[in-house]
Amino acid sequence: MPTFEKTEPAAPPEEILQGREFVLSTDEERNAAFEQAFDYRGDVTLELRSGERIEGYLFNREPAGDPPSVSLLLKGSDQPRQVAYSEIAKLVFSGKDAADGKSYEAWKAKKKAERDAEAKRIEEKMKTDGYL
Amino acid sequence: MALLALTALLAFPFDMADQSVINSPDRPMVPLSQMFTVATYVMGQKLRGRKRYPLVLMLEPLFRCNLACAGCGKIQYPEHILSRRLTPEQCWAAAEECGAPMVSIPGGEPLIHPEIGEIVAGLVERKKYIYLCTNALLLKRKLDLFKPSQYLTFSVHLDGLQEEHDEAVCRDGTYKTAVEGIKEALKRGFRVTTNTTLFEGANPERVREFFNEAMALGVEGMMLSPGYSYQKAPDQEHFLAKKRSTELFKQILGNPDKSWRFNLSPLFLKFLQGEIDYDCTPWGMPTYNIFGWQKPCYLLQDGYAKSFAELMELTAWEKYGPKSGNSKCSNCMVHSGYEATAVDDTFGSLAGFFRTVRATLAPNRPL
Repeated sequence: MPTFEKTEPAAPPEEILQGREFVLSTDEERNAAFEQAFDYRGDVTLELRSGERIEGYLFNREPAGDPPSVSLLLKGSDQPRQVAYSEIAKLVFSGKDAADGKSYEAWKAKKKAERDAEAKRIEEKMKTDGYL
Repeated sequence: MALLALTALLAFPFDMADQSVINSPDRPMVPLSQMFTVATYVMGQKLRGRKRYPLVLMLEPLFRCNLACAGCGKIQYPEHILSRRLTPEQCWAAAEECGAPMVSIPGGEPLIHPEIGEIVAGLVERKKYIYLCTNALLLKRKLDLFKPSQYLTFSVHLDGLQEEHDEAVCRDGTYKTAVEGIKEALKRGFRVTTNTTLFEGANPERVREFFNEAMALGVEGMMLSPGYSYQKAPDQEHFLAKKRSTELFKQILGNPDKSWRFNLSPLFLKFLQGEIDYDCTPWGMPTYNIFGWQKPCYLLQDGYAKSFAELMELTAWEKYGPKSGNSKCSNCMVHSGYEATAVDDTFGSLAGFFRTVRATLAPNRPL
């Protein structure tokens, strides 16, 4: 039997970010937090040093930009908003993670239920026919 | 000029068994004008000494889809992002800015876009060859929005026979609806291809059976690719590693049926079977969507550029592709990264040209 190279999972199991908050003081903390936010498929809330809070989908981060910044699409606004790293005091993963795999889990559960029901139906027929 | 036409014929559509692409009047085929346009475009880029040029614009006018396929990592966004769409003007501007002769419209499901008819009409007006990638659930209902044209092809997502396809897209009945859509589109004179992604667990015999069935529908050709291991896809267990991919494609494409025709470069099919070792051409099929120009390719999201020029000039291309050592690229053999490499190989040297000739005329013989 041939042995095939096994596919590694595309990503290591991720920590659950939804609901987490990060207070950002150093460049290192900002870089790490915005990388995670860029990878996150839900909305985030930024608390700015000015006191303003903005919520939206963070779709870009430019750590090498001048100045380093993130870009968000805010609910109800057509234009992206760019915010410098230095203006941001706190990052909250406030929105639901749309890549949590729930729809696929539901499909798998549905298929499993169908297979189980079919197996049960066959088993009962076998019993009725005296084969079991 | 004759050589150019011959090259065009050889490089793009691929009939597995013979040259019936050239001599079969009763079967639909890629129009000569498309082959010629693409061939002259690529030759033009070569003559200008351009190392990096786009071949196909991947235009994603929206992310919303009416399916949630297990292997898709494209549509997992918050509701307000799924509700956003590119306007027709943005789509046309992107096509002009990019300059590629072909435009593929994936998504999301493009037929959900309320202005898709207008978008396509504008691209046809600009003489772009369009592949509108659809799951065809709405195709029958939306066909009136379009006019048959040599510039427009519906590329219908079918991942196998009914059982495999419905399983891949996580909804029963999808195959049947898609086939009805294909039949109706063909009846009305539209160009139609199928578009198949294969994952771990694909049964070569069933895939071959599917190819027979797809060709029997009367489609112009088939597109084929292994799936990419999207980090955000719901199913992380069924992506193909490289070695397994080539084993699978050898089993599927070896001893091909005479009816099979692929809308792919013959060299890409050889690459899938492990006969050529190519590096990726991530700039070959640049992607534009509501976030901008996606870096670096259709599959990976490493940020966005504000313009096509910025994408081409500021992306650190050396960080991508299997030869870069980037782990996200190591198992990727996806069409969007390697078809452009194969086409570039055809036009890049006489050796490449003769490889293409050989792969076309004797697809069963190793290169």
